[in-house]
Amino acid sequence: MVMRRRVSGCWLLVALGASGAHAVEQRAEEVRVISAQPDSVSVTIYRDLFALITETRTVDLPAGPVTLVFDGVAETLMPQSAVVADTGRELRESNYDFELLTAAKLMEKNIGREMLLTRTNPATGKVRQVKATLIAANTEGVVFRSIDGNEALHCSGLPERLSFEELPGELTSKPTLSIRLAAGTPGKRQVRVSYLAHGFGWSADYVGKFSADSGRLDLHGWITLHNLTRAGFRDAQVQVVAGRLNLLDFEEDRGSSLIGATSEYLGDEFLDAARIEALEEAREDPDSLPNSLGQSIGYFSGCYPLGSSEIAENIVKFPDLSAVSAVHRLAEMDGAEQLDEVVVTGFRMSMAVRENLADYQMYRLPSRTDLAARQTKQVAFLHTPEVKVERFYGIRLSDSEEYGDEYAAESNFVPIDVKVGWRNRKADGLGEPLPGGLVRFFESAATGLVFAGDARLADTSVDTPVELVIGKSVDLGIAFEGSAEEPEPSALSLFTRRVYLPMHLRVLNDKTRPVVVEIRQGPMSELQDLRVVDASLAPKRKAGDYMWRFEVPAQGEQELSYKVGGRVPDWMRD
Amino acid sequence: MRALSTSRWVVLGLCSVAAVAAETGEDRQLAITIYNDNLALIEHLRPLKLAAGRQRVEIPGVSAQILPQTVSFAAANLELMEQNFDYDLLTPHKLMEKAVGGNVRVVRTNPATGVETSETAQVLSIEGGTVLRIGNRIEVLRDDNLPARVVFDKVPDNLRARPTLSVLVNALAPVDQDVRLTYLSRGLGWAADYVAVFDEASGVLSMQGWITLSNRSGTGFANARAQLVAGNLNVTDPSADPDYRRGTDIQRRAGKEDGAQQRLADYYLYPLPHPTTIANQQTKQVSFLESDRVTASKGYEITFTDFASSDEPRSAEVRVRFANSKAAGLGAPLPAGVVRVYARDSRGQPQFIGEDKVGHTSGGSEIALRIGDAFDVTVTPTLNQTTRVNKRSSDYQMNYLVRNARAEAATVTVRQDGLWRFNEVRAESIKGRRTDADSFAWDVTVPPNGETQLTFTIRQGW
Repeated sequence: MVMRRRVSGCWLLVALGASGAHAVEQRAEEVRVISAQPDSVSVTIYRDLFALITETRTVDLPAGPVTLVFDGVAETLMPQSAVVADTGRELRESNYDFELLTAAKLMEKNIGREMLLTRTNPATGKVRQVKATLIAANTEGVVFRSIDGNEALHCSGLPERLSFEELPGELTSKPTLSIRLAAGTPGKRQVRVSYLAHGFGWSADYVGKFSADSGRLDLHGWITLHNLTRAGFRDAQVQVVAGRLNLLDFEEDRGSSLIGATSEYLGDEFLDAARIEALEEAREDPDSLPNSLGQSIGYFSGCYPLGSSEIAENIVKFPDLSAVSAVHRLAEMDGAEQLDEVVVTGFRMSMAVRENLADYQMYRLPSRTDLAARQTKQVAFLHTPEVKVERFYGIRLSDSEEYGDEYAAESNFVPIDVKVGWRNRKADGLGEPLPGGLVRFFESAATGLVFAGDARLADTSVDTPVELVIGKSVDLGIAFEGSAEEPEPSALSLFTRRVYLPMHLRVLNDKTRPVVVEIRQGPMSELQDLRVVDASLAPKRKAGDYMWRFEVPAQGEQELSYKVGGRVPDWMRD
Repeated sequence: MRALSTSRWVVLGLCSVAAVAAETGEDRQLAITIYNDNLALIEHLRPLKLAAGRQRVEIPGVSAQILPQTVSFAAANLELMEQNFDYDLLTPHKLMEKAVGGNVRVVRTNPATGVETSETAQVLSIEGGTVLRIGNRIEVLRDDNLPARVVFDKVPDNLRARPTLSVLVNALAPVDQDVRLTYLSRGLGWAADYVAVFDEASGVLSMQGWITLSNRSGTGFANARAQLVAGNLNVTDPSADPDYRRGTDIQRRAGKEDGAQQRLADYYLYPLPHPTTIANQQTKQVSFLESDRVTASKGYEITFTDFASSDEPRSAEVRVRFANSKAAGLGAPLPAGVVRVYARDSRGQPQFIGEDKVGHTSGGSEIALRIGDAFDVTVTPTLNQTTRVNKRSSDYQMNYLVRNARAEAATVTVRQDGLWRFNEVRAESIKGRRTDADSFAWDVTVPPNGETQLTFTIRQGW
């Protein structure tokens, strides 16, 4: 066995010899077994832009050591999460190769090798081919040597291209997951491959229809799930998981989250917003996902200075588009589709089935389904036709609320929030865990359904009260009287440092029906040890606030007056 | 193929031109020691055959992210004169730049007839355009936008296709031996990854530890003996990230147990059992730890750092606690890495439920992994009342409503943290405990599908 390699202008003959004292352990020739596709696949989608893919594959293993290659894994695979189980053999190592075949890599790997240069004479159309050796290829250009001498590629203005006889072995058209196994019993085995992959997401959406008297809600829940990758999954068992997982940042900590560590988000609403934004971004540009093939196609272009700059720009484009698209085609997996496709599978009310998964909720799609590349699917998971709800109007008075200045300055008429509240329990027609999502409310009018506002629901466990703000009142408001005046501290209160802020308000209802109004007095940062005293109606407590709830008659009004007493903090005293 | 059998090749130089630089042969032995922070020590043992005298030796196939200042090249009878790491990449621009003052050939193709004509040109300048003198005229290359090839007769020696390491040596006698080349390189790194399947019912964690090695150095390494070093090295480099190794608050008690791991000064060494090939752009995983029966338990925790009310219930954190002690079924130090936790669903299939990082953890330590937030175990805080006691202190009466929508009872550890300098519990509905100078904790047991109220009054001041 003799091999020739050209190095620095002279030929080196490399021949097989006896192994010396420093010889590395001989490695037996390993057989490669390729598993083309899984027998069955399960996809569990999380709200954090990734999914857990679990595949069962049947492989036929020879007796000796073997390298087992798993074809058709999603390109957005997170290699550190890959697990291969049930091989029945010692697993020596697991490899994820990402040296992809791109036009740039093809050039780079062929440095020093011979190839064919094809030029077309623009006038005669005559094609001339010469042998050439690639002597440099980097981001600043390509240089080759032929019998004529040394030249730079795509700097002459002539149509020219390089072609190679074969692909360098180490380049693959897609990322490859493989494992090396020790020798063992030959035969067929079922192995399980699981890994996390970026580029999946789901959200819950609700549609709520009020009954005519607004006392009941017909609530539908939908799961909308997205596969933003180029990978398709045939006949897959699909689940989605609702919950807030602790996840680490992808870049910084090699975690699974593309939006940073989840523990950095203090409130669920911030995490929700970040998830939605990331999902939208990935939908618009799926190639922005880590490991996406689209990202890795680099161009090698560059010349010495040519004429004026615009000309240079026109000439130096490399490679020509057909080459790029060919690499793209090569890289794409079977059945990959570029189009977004929405498939609604829930119309016949085949609903996703819920189960507890550890401390989260998991919803399993009712039957196996094809989850195609770049596909969006919807499936129903909840329908509760008679949820007992309360529609009421509410306002919270507190100096931490946004509208504080508004009512103090104008002090005449402030619109208040339209609210819907319910208790998530069986007795009230619900009693199901509700994954957070957008709830769109509709009212039944004589002419059909009328949109009545929407609100974002947080993850809600059973028996938890829910309150959502769905809009601002139109012909209902509060007039403030007397609250804008500075409180006059009496001689006694100066001594005790207690002040009493008089509040007087009127709720005005222009509607033709009576409404329920809830007034809450929240904390004031300038008053410590806050107490409500001398109230015209007896207050209750709600979440630490003082609260009044009363009915205001149709086209009528209700007055409320009380004093907010408290101590001026020591830091505010002169 | 070639890479697999390098050890069995003997290199015979059949160079006809003696002036050409000598080159080291293929690796006879390759050892790589990889540290956590994107740093590796690479040691090549290569055959070298030299005649006596001063000459240049080229060393191909070293890491493209070599730190040239760390190179050491040693052999008997060999004096090292100087050492270069050549970054002068061969590019079209560089080629023309080096041709300034010299001659090139310009080959034009007549766009109408297709006839080629060749002229010799002198390159005068490449500033803003290539200025050529052809015969007695001066012109800018391709100013007319017509095709014109530029042919260079020679590529300057010091322009290279790839960054190349070369040394200038003085051989005191003819050399025919193995030389050792060592250097540090960026682009190689490792971390541990753990897969933990948690069986809550039986309180058992089944744990696998993987060493994940990644190679972004731009160079592949064939048949290397690799070993990994775990420990906090001081690395003075802004691109290294020492924070990573410190872990979070998950380590509850540091251990003192010695593992079976080899130690190197203050670090742990993990040699890989077999020689391995680390291809460029490859992520490789090798198993280093496996235990099916690690005793573990689940707990709910929630910490409040202020006294305030909220309408929205807050989910309790789920923690999985275990010790890497021999008694608990895992007597090994844990190198820093990410633990991914799985739980089996109703069909027995493992599903991912969260991840956390561990710092380098010595044997016998107690660990509480943060998994995520419980969907069904929540706490709603209400500040009932504040009362001034005197100028420097106040009483805070808090109520925590702990809800459990699960089918089994839950115990939630509620912590009140960040208290002022003087603090005491004046009243409590459940017996609590002081956890440190400025925090208290209460273990609140909640029945299945039920709720429990925790009420206490804390006096604090300064």
